[in-house]
Amino acid sequence: MIKKLILNISIVAVVVFVLDFAIGRTLRYFYFKETSGQHFRTTCSMETTEADLLVFGSSRANHHYVPEIFEDSLKTTFYNAGRDGNGILFQTAVLKSVLTRYFPKVIILDAGGFNKEKDNYDRLSSLLPYYRTHKEIRSIIELKSPFEKIKLLSQIYPFNSQIIAIATGNLDFFARSKPDNKGYVALHGEWPAEISYNDAYSAYEVDANKIFALREFINIAKKSGAKIFVIYSPVFLKFKKNLDIEVGNDVCSFENVPYWDFSRDTQFLSNRHLFQDRSHLNHKGATIFSKLIVTKIKQGILVN
Amino acid sequence: MVFTSFNFLLFFPGLIAVYFLTPIRFRWPVLLIASYFFYINIKPVFALLLVYISLVTYLLTRLMEKTEVESKRKTCLLINITLILLPLIFFKYFSVINNYLINFLAIRDLRWPLPEIKLFLPIGISFYTFTTIGYIVDVYNEEIEVEKNIGILALFVSFFPLILSGPIERAKNMLPQLKALNKFDYHMVVQGLKLMLWGYFMKLVVADRIGIYVDAIYNHIGQHNGKTLLFASVLYPFQVYADLGGYSLIAIGTARILGIQVMQNFKRPFFATSMSEFWRRWHISLISWLTDYIYTPLSFAFRKFKVWGIVIALMITFFISGIWHGAALTFVVWGIMQGVFLSAEALTNKRKALFEKKHQLNQKAWYIFLGICFTFILFAASQIFGRAESLNSALQVYRRIFTIPGALFIGSPAYLIYSFFGLVMLLFKDFSDEFMPSRFLLFESKHKFIRVLAYSSIIILILLIGVFDGGQFIYFQF
Repeated sequence: MIKKLILNISIVAVVVFVLDFAIGRTLRYFYFKETSGQHFRTTCSMETTEADLLVFGSSRANHHYVPEIFEDSLKTTFYNAGRDGNGILFQTAVLKSVLTRYFPKVIILDAGGFNKEKDNYDRLSSLLPYYRTHKEIRSIIELKSPFEKIKLLSQIYPFNSQIIAIATGNLDFFARSKPDNKGYVALHGEWPAEISYNDAYSAYEVDANKIFALREFINIAKKSGAKIFVIYSPVFLKFKKNLDIEVGNDVCSFENVPYWDFSRDTQFLSNRHLFQDRSHLNHKGATIFSKLIVTKIKQGILVN
Repeated sequence: MVFTSFNFLLFFPGLIAVYFLTPIRFRWPVLLIASYFFYINIKPVFALLLVYISLVTYLLTRLMEKTEVESKRKTCLLINITLILLPLIFFKYFSVINNYLINFLAIRDLRWPLPEIKLFLPIGISFYTFTTIGYIVDVYNEEIEVEKNIGILALFVSFFPLILSGPIERAKNMLPQLKALNKFDYHMVVQGLKLMLWGYFMKLVVADRIGIYVDAIYNHIGQHNGKTLLFASVLYPFQVYADLGGYSLIAIGTARILGIQVMQNFKRPFFATSMSEFWRRWHISLISWLTDYIYTPLSFAFRKFKVWGIVIALMITFFISGIWHGAALTFVVWGIMQGVFLSAEALTNKRKALFEKKHQLNQKAWYIFLGICFTFILFAASQIFGRAESLNSALQVYRRIFTIPGALFIGSPAYLIYSFFGLVMLLFKDFSDEFMPSRFLLFESKHKFIRVLAYSSIIILILLIGVFDGGQFIYFQF
């Protein structure tokens, strides 16, 4: 009976293995053939872009830095590598991949979110499709769990919950309806409410891995010879204390790199029409903000 | 350790190998060690609670057994139940009661000497406390013999498949099985694996996927309109069903692989046509426990009030059920609502039955369908209190459903598509099991090819659209 059980389990295992291999390989093929969407932009950031100016960060990076303004004013090539919901660990992994190919001249990091969060490392799933081909990011992915290596024996696992995104990323219709502008995705619409206060930082606990990643990001960027600027872009919130900013500022001071905090810039705080929501500028706000940054970068490069 | 953790996927095959290689008479210690190891993996210090409960119960039930005088036996019973309930009351209700008192007295400018405290609730405490109380009462009522082997009793209290979220088993069923563990049984192992597989599907593909949407809405009630809140409130009962139902299947399957039969916990609840039928299909182990140890004694005590005695017994039983779920007013309201629904049915039952018989409604599909829908609406309406963080939030949900217009919030369309795909599969299986039990037999097909393909497809579906980063099981908080 035990033999029969082992035989039957083996049959199921073989069928699962074959299906997993076939479906996983198909998903991988189509993942890297996408022509629009988040996957496509991350692949561009890690594997193809050779822009001289790269922007890193989460959604606040992705929606706040308008390519044309940087390209026209700084006479440089630009790519926005920001990705919604992905913080400093993801950004450090992407930068590591970039630096295996070439050295950008200017790096902007829109930094925040250094606190411990329950599901924070789950976001690193965005990097799973690159685990096999990018050795340099494996140590970061393995922060997710000690079993990640074993889970990645499955060909489907890196593409878990991505089947619809992969399908739409391969359709021209979506590429046309949501055009990609060198990684930047413009937000439209205006925030309807007046400014509010946020004191949600009472339970803030710094995540040591994230601080380590921030320092690593800065150090490898500096070693590559790039000018690095760490920025906290505008928010439509007032707060007594923002520990993200304090931590970012401390690390940047220690590493001797510029840290620009726009969270208290009255130009933005007084104008809800520049925001799509409390944390994100709309295209109009992003354009104004990008011009400010360009001016400061010019000054920063001249000073240094 | 939880069933959806990778640790469990390593732990359980290892345990099976050790378990079946061990001679039968030494298997219960293997299970006892495994159960403590399983629980210690969550938070080691809470294993002391299991030791305490097992020890106190063993000593006092042995004392009860040796005592001839009824009043002394009763004293043993009451002391035992009190000592077993103390940790539950302390961990689950103390901080809540303390905070209520602090707030109540603060309004009157009085200071309560104890500061505000927050305690970690030992996972599963409500479940193993009820399991143990059931044993103590059964011993007192002489429905079972007292367990003389403290190891077996400790295993019964801590049995790892059931410890975190049930099913809340009975000593009458479990102790004889734990004392005479069976040889390897191919059919039980296969049945267990099938149950586990479907349980994982329910949890990872349905519950956790729906949970992403429901959490997004219920965590920001004030930012969502009526349509969105209504939609999330309709989805939530399915999430709870897939979550606890899925957990129960994994638990039952795990036990069955080890050769132990555990009671069914859900029986296609969303096809119930009345609330009383619903509660015979939903969380069966809890309801049967409440029926045996609370409702039946109460309805006996109140029998002189006739049907109103049943109403009083129902209200008290579901009030306790609400309190059991959580130390919050939301759960009290939730329990009272169930009591009201069931009482209303109890009061109108005879007239309803006559009416249905006269018009032969029970045979008519549209009437059954209406009954199913009506029952679901009542349950979903009560579950708003089960999900909301506070009474105010729950009332806000109701208010916004009826007053705030606007378009439905979709969030991630892909995630909703995955949710519906999983939910349709789950409901289709339940529908087929309910109304066409001999059709669409995939796991039970007589053709091996179909069975293998069905198992493999479910595994692949879990890999494709399961949520691996999902939260814990909802009922762990209870």
